[in-house]
Amino acid sequence: MAVLAAAGAGVSAYLLAARGTPVCSTGGCELVQGSRYAHVLRIPVAALGLAAFLTLFATALSRSELARAAGAAIGLAGLLFSIYLLVVQLAVIGAVCEWCVAGDAIAALLAPAAALRIVQ
Amino acid sequence: MRVNVFLLVAAAGAALAGAVIAASVLGGRETAPEVSSGVRPGATELAGIPQQGIALGDPEAPRTLAVYGDVQCPYCAIWDEASLPGIVDTYVRAGSLRIVFRGLAFIGPESDLGLRAVLAASLQDKGWNLLNVLYANQGDENGGWLTEDSLRRFGETVPGLDVDRMLSDLRASEIETEIAAGQAAAQAGGVRGTPSFELGPTGGTLGPVAQRELDAALAG
Repeated sequence: MAVLAAAGAGVSAYLLAARGTPVCSTGGCELVQGSRYAHVLRIPVAALGLAAFLTLFATALSRSELARAAGAAIGLAGLLFSIYLLVVQLAVIGAVCEWCVAGDAIAALLAPAAALRIVQ
Repeated sequence: MRVNVFLLVAAAGAALAGAVIAASVLGGRETAPEVSSGVRPGATELAGIPQQGIALGDPEAPRTLAVYGDVQCPYCAIWDEASLPGIVDTYVRAGSLRIVFRGLAFIGPESDLGLRAVLAASLQDKGWNLLNVLYANQGDENGGWLTEDSLRRFGETVPGLDVDRMLSDLRASEIETEIAAGQAAAQAGGVRGTPSFELGPTGGTLGPVAQRELDAALAG
C-alpha cells in the first residue's frame, strides 16, 4: 500500500509540476488540465491528490486503528472522486489525460488495499 | 465493533468524496458568466491601437507574436487577463510588436462558434475587442455560455462593431479560410495546447516560445 501511495504521490507531483502542460501521448492532457475541473475551489486537483496520497502513505506506515480507519476512509473518498473525474473526462470534457487516469487507477487499487487493513 | 468501524469509515469516505465532488461541480458554476446581469469588459485597453483583420498593432512593427488560443480555454483567459494588458502597453502601443491571434476550436462546438464570432468581428477590425470580452466572460465548457444571443450581448459592448453584420458573417467563406489557416499553422508549428506562442520578425519565420519564457523573449 505504501508503494502504491508513493507512486500516486509521484504522479500527482508530476501533474502539479507540469502546470497544465504535461507530456501526454493522448494529446488530452492539456485539455483536461486546462479545464475548470482541474481545480476545486481554486486548489489544483493534482494538489489534492498529492495530499491524499501522502496521507495514505503515512497511514500505511502506521498500524494504529485510527491510522487504518483514516486510510480506509481517504482511500474510499479517493476512489469515488476518481470515478467522478473519469466520468468528467469522458462525458464532459471529451478527452482523456493519461497521467490523470494513472492516478485514478492507483486510487482504485489503494481503496481496497486500505479497506482490507480494517477488515483484517 | 468491526462492523461499526467499517460503517463509520464508509460514511466518512463517502461524505469526504461527496464534499469534494460538490465543490468541483459548484466551483465550475461559480465562475459562470454573468450574461444576464451584464457583460464584463475585457481586461486590455485596446482603444487607439490599430487592427488589421486578426492582427493587433502597427503592421510595420519589427516583431510579430502569434498567439494560439481557444475562447473556451481557461488558461488562455488567464493569460489574456494577467499578461496581455502589460504586453500591449509595453510593446504594442510602442509600435515594437504586433500580435496575431491564431484561433483554434478544440474544446467543442462553443469554441467553434466563439472563434467564428472573433474572426467575423475581425472582418471589421474588431476581433481583438470581441476576443477580450469573450475571455472576460468565459463560462463552463460547452455549457451554453456562447450562443448567438449571448454573442449579440457581448458584441454590443464593443464600440463600433456592427453586431448584425458580425452574426451574418459567422459562416462567411473568409471565416472558413481563416479557420483552416489557423489549423494549418498549428499543425505546422506542432502546437499541442493553448495558449501557445510563436515569436519572430514580422514577415519572417516565427519560432515557438514557451509561455514561461515569453516575458524574457519579448524583452530580449
